[in-house]
Amino acid sequence: MKLIFSVLFCSLLPALLLCQTKISGKVIDNSKQPLPGANVFIKDSYDGVSSKEDGSFSFTTEEEGNAFLVVSFVGYQTKEESIQLTGNDINIEIILEEEARELGAVVISAGSFEASDENKAVILRPLDIVTTGADADIYSALETLPGTQQIGETEGLFVRGGSAAETVTIIDEMVVQKPFYSSVPDIPSRGRFSPFLFKGIMFSTGGYSAKYGQALSSALILNSQDLADQTLTAINLMILGLGGAHVQRWENSSFAFEGGYYNLGPYFNMVEQRQEWDTAPIGLEGSINYRLKTSKTGMLKAFGSFNYSDLSLFMENLDDLSAKNYFGLRSDNYYSNLSYREILGDDWALFAGASFSLDKDKYDLNTDKVNQNEILNQGRIAVTKQVFNSSFITFGGEVQNMIYKNVFNELSARLDEVYLAGFLEADIFFTNDFAARVGLRGEHSKLLGKYNLAPRISLAYRLGTFDQLNFAYGKFYQTPFKDFLIQTTDFDYENASHYIFNYQFISDERTFRIEFYYKDYDNLAKGNLFTPPFILPAVPLSNDGGGYAKGVDIFWRDRETFDMTDYWLSYSYLDTKRDFINFPGLATPTFATPHTFSAVIKRWVSSITTSFGLTYTFATGRPYYNPNNPEYLGDKTKSYNNLSINFSYLTTVFNNFTVIFFSVDNLLGFQNIYGYNYSTDGTVRRPVLPTATRALFLGMFISVGQASPF
Amino acid sequence: MKIIVTIAICFLTAAGMYAGDGKYEKAMRKNLSEIDSARDVGSMLDVANGFERIAFAEKDKWLPYYYASFMYVLSSFADTTAGKKDGYLDKANIFINIADSLEEDESEIYVLKGMIAQGRLQVDPMNRWMKYGRVANTNFEKAMKIDTLNPRPEYLQGVSLYYTPEQFGGGSAPAKRLLEKSLEKFNLFVPDNDLMPNWGRKTVEQMLEQINEIPEEVKEE
Repeated sequence: MKLIFSVLFCSLLPALLLCQTKISGKVIDNSKQPLPGANVFIKDSYDGVSSKEDGSFSFTTEEEGNAFLVVSFVGYQTKEESIQLTGNDINIEIILEEEARELGAVVISAGSFEASDENKAVILRPLDIVTTGADADIYSALETLPGTQQIGETEGLFVRGGSAAETVTIIDEMVVQKPFYSSVPDIPSRGRFSPFLFKGIMFSTGGYSAKYGQALSSALILNSQDLADQTLTAINLMILGLGGAHVQRWENSSFAFEGGYYNLGPYFNMVEQRQEWDTAPIGLEGSINYRLKTSKTGMLKAFGSFNYSDLSLFMENLDDLSAKNYFGLRSDNYYSNLSYREILGDDWALFAGASFSLDKDKYDLNTDKVNQNEILNQGRIAVTKQVFNSSFITFGGEVQNMIYKNVFNELSARLDEVYLAGFLEADIFFTNDFAARVGLRGEHSKLLGKYNLAPRISLAYRLGTFDQLNFAYGKFYQTPFKDFLIQTTDFDYENASHYIFNYQFISDERTFRIEFYYKDYDNLAKGNLFTPPFILPAVPLSNDGGGYAKGVDIFWRDRETFDMTDYWLSYSYLDTKRDFINFPGLATPTFATPHTFSAVIKRWVSSITTSFGLTYTFATGRPYYNPNNPEYLGDKTKSYNNLSINFSYLTTVFNNFTVIFFSVDNLLGFQNIYGYNYSTDGTVRRPVLPTATRALFLGMFISVGQASPF
Repeated sequence: MKIIVTIAICFLTAAGMYAGDGKYEKAMRKNLSEIDSARDVGSMLDVANGFERIAFAEKDKWLPYYYASFMYVLSSFADTTAGKKDGYLDKANIFINIADSLEEDESEIYVLKGMIAQGRLQVDPMNRWMKYGRVANTNFEKAMKIDTLNPRPEYLQGVSLYYTPEQFGGGSAPAKRLLEKSLEKFNLFVPDNDLMPNWGRKTVEQMLEQINEIPEEVKEE
């Protein structure tokens, strides 16, 4: 009996010695929905369980005393609850908070389109830039988004009634002084930077962050790639020229160099051009790109590029039809950008950057010679501090030194600008559904000798899993054009106030966005610029201009309805009038039209490994200046239509992975007219037309030694 | 006396049952045995949670992190909800990076990194192949370099080649070469101990069977 008792006692002994506590309860989210599959366990022990379909859990532990109950789940913040393990049953309800800025959390996004390959819901992917439109140019791809105007006669982004000069391009937090190749009258030039350089693109059509300034309308914020993925040699053969690149990847660094030569001569012989070219554009360019991972979280980036181009052409002289105007342009451009990012401690992040650029343009205008040299040095530093949860504040400053020399025959003018700016911005996540970005930016220009202070605010409120409301207000300042400042520096900043309200729905496969805006322009600079074709009575230099722009932008993208097909539709309505430069009063400028519509369709056909892209654009007519019409800018061109297609055929050539790209711009041959030029007396006029009715592009991009990208 | 002995034995048993040393292996073995039977996302996440608990308690062992990551990768392949795959892969990525920081130059860790890249690619092939195809291959190559006898890099590359169009050197013929090579290595493969990764052989055999069947069908036609 004794023995039996002792055996019985023994078998109970482990349980008695190690007291067991039963823990049960339920895991739910903020809205009391059960979370199945959450991991519930005692910290530093193996004891735990996954929550069931109804969020409930129950397990026992032999641990004793003070302990922590940990609950973790994908997409939610891990929670630790202090508990006492005494052998008494514990019943506990755990509420998990969604991880902010995961898919589904509110995102501050009024006014902006983001393209990113990070794994979150965004409107565009970087690859969309390459496969949209006909020329694989960042800017022409962005022109398929609402808020932009279809301007074919010159380069630049014309956003919501703003001129191209009101859009700033920023690479790795620093301003790019010349994002485009140098300008030729009535011919648009391309963006200088390849879309492949960037991993993220943020295009703000208004209400952008206090981190940036000096743009009344819009900011294009580009983030360059980190370490290259692998060692690779590439050869590019194009109808317009050829190029090559080599990328070397080491464990913690990568180095790339790239070179190219282009000559449009052969292409111009093949596709007839309207212009009478003396020297078809030729160019030589090269770049180097270095990345160093300085620590687990630190990244140093250095980029430098050089570009030389030469072109000349004859243009009709409308005042003397027996003579021709000669236009020659030789350009040298150097650009460099150095930046460093690091995370310090648990909640500090540092950014430091410097950039140098030099642009030299030599113009031959009949017998006149014009030399324009522009140097831009800049430095920037910014610090971000995480405050609580996902909220953080960012503050920093930047300095820019711009030296501009303009020599017209014997006359010369020079500008020395020192621009200083400081900013402070807080991103506050009040809840997972409501967030605000509040910022303040102060600027000082040495040339103007004045300060400005620009408040910015952006609010976002999430309505459901996929949709949210956004609101933004901001004040934006810009120093008047250099062409004004070389006449006098007795100017004030131009400014604009933005009011933006938007609703957006973003699921994985569908996006809908409607945005209303009002933009109030004030202090726009007035006076004569020394640029044709505006030959009007002298206008005194002043800050007396102003104006407004209001409208609606609508965007719809759908990747779900049609198999392997992705399409988007954009519509913009714009109502704008302004008084600036030499306008006699408020008028709708030449770069604004009320209605613009774009449709982009892409389809991937895996059986022939080809991606097809089709872009159609329609825009109502734009005003043009007719000296015979007493109403200033009272005439309008006919409407604009363009259908462009592109094919990317993926294949291998001698076992090297190759993409063959072919595109046709204006496939259907619409006769588009961008405006009219008049002779001084108004008796002769000529339409401003595209350089050719259709533009073709054919290129072959070979990755040497890479058999398959898959 | 008898009682004392019995009680002493009892104590020893109790102590033995809860001794720290065997506990890790036991828990790992229990979880490993559950991998094969986890067919749906829910049970895969259950197993992942099990490994995560061990990982958090042990902290300096890379294998629990490795397996937790592995289970999240499998979940991302199994879950058909479009928006969820990346979330699992994010978590898989966190775990494999911890594993990587605990164990330097481990071939199996690079295999899994490559597999995560394959998972990323699968979510949005049109937009992601350029980046993640390369990331996957770079990791598999590294895995092979560290351990030339590891059968898994060739296995995973073979599977992805099988689904790659023939224009890019994909298709069943080149896939077969890799899978056969992988099988050769599987035949020689002996894990250091029973906790070390030892998965994939069955799929290789099944795929080879499937590939070998195809020519016969063609003949019939």
